[in-house]
Amino acid sequence: MTFDEGQGYVLLSTLAVPLVAALVLLLLPGGFKGGIRWVSLITGAILLGTSTYIFVAYQADGDIFQMELRWAWIENVSFLGENGVSLYLGVDGISSLMALLTGIVAFAGTLVSWKVDYRPKDFFILYWVLIAGVYGTFFSLDLFFFFFFYELAVVPLYLLIGVWGSTRKEYGAMKLTMMLVGGSVLMWIGIFAVVAEADLGTFSLPELWQAGEDGVLGENFQKIFFPFFVVGCGVLAALWPFHTWSPDGHMSAPTAVSMVHAGVLMKLGSFGIIRLGIQMMPEGAEFWMPALMVLGTIGAVYGAVGALTQRDFKLVSGYSSVSHMGYVLMGLATLSAIGLTGASLQMFSHGVMTALVFLLIGALYDQAHTRDLKDFGGIAKVMPLWVIAYVIAGLANVGLPGLSGFTAEFHIFVGTFQTYPVFGGLGILAAALAAGYMLRMFSIVFFGPLNPRWQELRDVNPMEAIAGLLLVGSIVVMGVWWSLFTDRLAETVLNLPGVS
Amino acid sequence: MGAEQAWLLAAIPGGMFFVIAMIGRWLPRQADWLGILTIATTFALFFVVLVDFLGTGDGLGPITNSMSWTEIGGFQLDMGIFVDPITIVMLGVITAVALMVNIFSVGYMKGEPRYFWYFALLQGFAASMILLVMADNLLLVYVAWELVGVCSFLLIGFYWERRSAIEAAKKAFITTRVGDVGLLIGIILLWREAGTFNISEIIAFAQDGGYGSTYLFVASFAVFLGAIGKSAQVPFHVWLPDAMEGPTPVSALIHAATMVVAGVYLVARLLPVFEIPEGMMLIITIVGLVTALMTGVIAIAQTDIKKVLAYSTVGQLGFMFIALGAGYPDVAMLHLMTHAFFKALLFLGSGSVILATHHNQEMDKLGGMWRKMPITGTTFLIGSLALAGLPPLAGFWSKDEIWVVTEGAWGAWATILFGVAAVLTAFYTTRLFIRTFMGNPQDEHVYEHTHETGPVMWAPLVFLGVLAVVSGFVIFNEVGTALGFPGGFTEFIFLDEPHVYSIHWDFAAASLAAAVIGIFVGAWMYWGGRLDRATAFANWQPGLFDVARNKFYWDDLYQAGVDRGLLGFSYVVSWFDRYAVNDTGVDGSAQTTGYAGFILKHIQTGKVPNYAMGIAIGVIVLTIAGMAARG
Repeated sequence: MTFDEGQGYVLLSTLAVPLVAALVLLLLPGGFKGGIRWVSLITGAILLGTSTYIFVAYQADGDIFQMELRWAWIENVSFLGENGVSLYLGVDGISSLMALLTGIVAFAGTLVSWKVDYRPKDFFILYWVLIAGVYGTFFSLDLFFFFFFYELAVVPLYLLIGVWGSTRKEYGAMKLTMMLVGGSVLMWIGIFAVVAEADLGTFSLPELWQAGEDGVLGENFQKIFFPFFVVGCGVLAALWPFHTWSPDGHMSAPTAVSMVHAGVLMKLGSFGIIRLGIQMMPEGAEFWMPALMVLGTIGAVYGAVGALTQRDFKLVSGYSSVSHMGYVLMGLATLSAIGLTGASLQMFSHGVMTALVFLLIGALYDQAHTRDLKDFGGIAKVMPLWVIAYVIAGLANVGLPGLSGFTAEFHIFVGTFQTYPVFGGLGILAAALAAGYMLRMFSIVFFGPLNPRWQELRDVNPMEAIAGLLLVGSIVVMGVWWSLFTDRLAETVLNLPGVS
Repeated sequence: MGAEQAWLLAAIPGGMFFVIAMIGRWLPRQADWLGILTIATTFALFFVVLVDFLGTGDGLGPITNSMSWTEIGGFQLDMGIFVDPITIVMLGVITAVALMVNIFSVGYMKGEPRYFWYFALLQGFAASMILLVMADNLLLVYVAWELVGVCSFLLIGFYWERRSAIEAAKKAFITTRVGDVGLLIGIILLWREAGTFNISEIIAFAQDGGYGSTYLFVASFAVFLGAIGKSAQVPFHVWLPDAMEGPTPVSALIHAATMVVAGVYLVARLLPVFEIPEGMMLIITIVGLVTALMTGVIAIAQTDIKKVLAYSTVGQLGFMFIALGAGYPDVAMLHLMTHAFFKALLFLGSGSVILATHHNQEMDKLGGMWRKMPITGTTFLIGSLALAGLPPLAGFWSKDEIWVVTEGAWGAWATILFGVAAVLTAFYTTRLFIRTFMGNPQDEHVYEHTHETGPVMWAPLVFLGVLAVVSGFVIFNEVGTALGFPGGFTEFIFLDEPHVYSIHWDFAAASLAAAVIGIFVGAWMYWGGRLDRATAFANWQPGLFDVARNKFYWDDLYQAGVDRGLLGFSYVVSWFDRYAVNDTGVDGSAQTTGYAGFILKHIQTGKVPNYAMGIAIGVIVLTIAGMAARG
């Protein structure tokens, strides 16, 4: 076993650990809450460790795909040839960054779920299945398993929101699931079409990418089927106008699920656009990207404008997510190395930033039982740490230099200006609107005279503080140390087909 | 250490920000001494940099030092510092005023809550501001630009329990942020053609004709929007008067002497670029003139002493832009420097009054303060006369020189308008001084409890008072040379086309006349604390007076624009999102599906005869269709 092969087992175990944890939890008695929590906490810690390892060990100047591991599952049967369907894992610069994001958010989510008291066993089983699905999607280099894990991540959401959620949870959960499944149907059609058209007898993604580049997947075919993947995945990335599950879903979801969902799951959508769209159908991408640029920009501006007058904390964040995922789509649509780097950075940045925001909203809501901005006022007096963390997240949201949001948005804007200056300008304008909705919220909720009703609020608890510190740290590191991230992304994005 | 290590000037206070913010609360005296020590070190290092810079001799070319920051394919970013004469002047102004403000604050902020946080923010601000003037590329300028903006936000909102303070902070941040949209667009547009963010390379690229004319106009106009946002020029001036909600020493440092001149600095730095597209210089001049005139009128009708000074600051920044519009960055930098000293003096002096009168800043309740506060009063008088432009104080020299270059660049119309603005300046300054410090006290109770503030506060006033007297003399080549600036100050700044100072007696006389007229009219109107002549004037033209008192209705206009325009648009978008996209589009398709199921379920009767009938009809239809297709 060579060293690199050994690395492949790191991916495999990162994928297996949450599934094993789910299995262990299944065997524990539901009343043994302490045990359930500790098993989850340890699982989260292990994942944070392996994820960090994957990111750090990824060699910026090595092969594009590293840590590969391939276990054939079905081959030489019927229409399937060599390596027909295989568990084929590997990471490039983008997915190693996404793995790091997942590790951070999943661990933070575990910490804040410490206080889940209603059926924690079932909660954590679903939670770990979801996390396994997320890792699987990021690691899969096989179309079959890519889709399998993608669906594995989406399905537990329904139960997690429907059972543990709040505020119209049945509606939110149902809408979210239906829309995401609708997107999956489009992808499903696209997958069959691609496999049939390529006729290689394999679901292996690298071979299908090669087919897309070599023209085995014809130009017209690509133009027709590219939208299936972009819209299918785009639903999960809050592509306007298929975004409305996002504000409602976030509003209904319990804290940890909001964090994982906005922090990581939405990135599966944009990640899918890269893997199945840009990489598999470069000619389709070139044809359709102006349209995606328009929709992304609409999303960025629309989300920011919509957030200006919301009164629910989570709706502000929900619309702000639509806006920030719009930036990701803009970055993808540039098909330039800088823009795609920016999109990848923004996926990470938005992930940690939104996870932090939802963590803090959860910490407040658990005590206050209201999320109406107008109910609050001056809570910096009683929750100083909470406010400091929120201000940092908010300023990252606004794109303050030195925090992750600027690092990402700067690359996106530069990439966009290369080919679409007007859209770049609109994107920057949306960033100014972000200052509007963020400072409005700061001013109403955090500052001003303290509303005496909230005299008794306590600051973040130790669990939330650790999770918050981890997320704040991630925001600051990306804000300051750009090359840590760009070095790992550069070779990957430069080698994407059709990217200059 | 030499000028290559000038980045230490930013790094030291930057590090101290974190130290004081995190552990300052538990240090003795909440670490105020640490703040002063930090800035004093920075001030001392400034002299090291200055001496090293002057010592390197040959031609005073810029000293640079940079490192690679990030690289994606052919897209490379370097971050570094750039020390040239403009930077040197800015560094001197920033560190000197910051040191005075830090010392003054020990007295002014005594006993305030979050004392350590205040001093932490002062360090953070100093670090960001120093970084801004040393940055060798526009991206780093933008980074520092936003960081000073955040420090300003946090300091304006320092008393965040007060609704008005936090609203003012929000307004300042968002208004400048709108300008920053332009700045970022402009920076990226400049990069897009030149392929670099480096300032010197962009200037060289522009001078080689690398940009198209219209393109460069758009790009430089966008950058200019950022500059006038930060420097509070019309139409972005509304945030600065509100920013007076912050602690007064902060107003002196950030909102008079340093941060608000960032826009002037940026345009001065990029002036070779601005000179190329046609019409850009005229726009700069007009913005400066309109701002100077309008704020001069507004300042007359304000009764809050800090508001008067705030509008005065906006107007003086307008003067600096006029100098830039005429193409003379050296003159702008000279006025920037003299203004920084006398305006910081005036703000700190007003802070001294405010503290002594237990937070009273309304002229209507002051008067006669000179007798109670001799040192504050005398230094304030020096500052006022410097602002009014009376020789031989600092303001006279710089303002006079702006007038000269304006006449040279634009001729009579600009010259006359400038003169009017100069008279207005002298007038409102006189009004401010007389109503605050002279005449009979308006409020006996306030007057009774007033006394001179302690040495920790008046010492900075004296220091700045001296500078307000002498700093203008550097305009003389002999003085500049004696101080070590080769060839004198203006030439030191302005390397490409040396602009040697000589007295224009006609303009000197006109300047003197403008100052004297303003002062005389002000004195005639308000001498001895009388208000009847002013009241009579207000009654004579009530409409005009209302317009001035209501700040030409800019704030109301913007408020309506935000409330009815932007927020209205937001409500429309939210409504559209809820009812059109969600309820109709998403829920609608769900309901349609459900309704279709409701209709179609009737087909599923569960009765065998019905199904048999269906099969029979199907067979018949298919048979006929098959036969028809065949032939």
